[in-house]
Amino acid sequence: MLAASPTTLPLFLALSACKGPAVLSGPPPLAAQTQTLLHAVTAELNLIWIYNKTMAEYSGLGPALAPLLAEHRAHLARLSARVVEPPGKKVPAAATARPAIDPTAEGALAQLRDAEQAAVGVLLNRLAAASPSLAQLYASIATSEATHVTALASRISRSRTGS
Amino acid sequence: MKSVKATEIAALQAALAAEHAAVYGYGVVGAMLSGADGSLAHADWLAHQEARDNLEQMLLHLGATPVAASPAYELPFPVSGAASAVRLAAFLEDGVTEAYLGLVAVTDRTLRSFGALAMQPPANRALAWRGSTVAFPGMPTAPASA
Repeated sequence: MLAASPTTLPLFLALSACKGPAVLSGPPPLAAQTQTLLHAVTAELNLIWIYNKTMAEYSGLGPALAPLLAEHRAHLARLSARVVEPPGKKVPAAATARPAIDPTAEGALAQLRDAEQAAVGVLLNRLAAASPSLAQLYASIATSEATHVTALASRISRSRTGS
Repeated sequence: MKSVKATEIAALQAALAAEHAAVYGYGVVGAMLSGADGSLAHADWLAHQEARDNLEQMLLHLGATPVAASPAYELPFPVSGAASAVRLAAFLEDGVTEAYLGLVAVTDRTLRSFGALAMQPPANRALAWRGSTVAFPGMPTAPASA
């Protein structure tokens, strides 16, 4: 009789545990990197929504905000282009967060600044698990959004001093 | 001592070389500016010296010999007055931002995070000089063909 050995026993156990393919099972779960990419797309959609809403409510802010909005649209396009649409999962096309806009123009600018700052933090947290090229895209977008924070803070400061 | 790959050392050396160039370049920028712009150029020059020293320490800590500054650098365009000096300052900051983005592609998570965070000061200084933001700091202007 064949004695169970340390080398054959694990093989037997592994083979006996094998099952056929699960017919009719759902699509495989999304890879972590795809999930974070889809979240990044949604985050840009949310920022674009806040910019559009703010510009609609405070038309005087349009000239200052339009270039930043254009850059968010560029971020969204570049991120969306990186998504290989997984089966059964569409690339997000609409904002998921639609906060009320602050009742003052200065408050609305501060709201945008805070949203940009939060977006920077989220993107930087995504670096470790990303591929090198995707990490560079996240870092570049995070840097762009960090400059938006600076630009918005400067605008708020100028509106306070009336300059 | 921590084991770091040659690619990671090379990325740190590239960032250091960019900081060396910025320190040199701001010498030219500062000579052409006065008043508030002159003070800003001086502050930025000091910031690049500090960043350079920091990178040199990091490389020494990793057992590498930090790359030395070149004795002179070729300017990307003639600098003959305040307007071209301001353009040069923005150009220098763009170069440093791009060099730090190179660090983000390495596998070491600490260096990757360091590179991403180190991009922000030069990008903000470029904003101060240029007066406008850019969509993809540090990246080539044309879309990359990933």
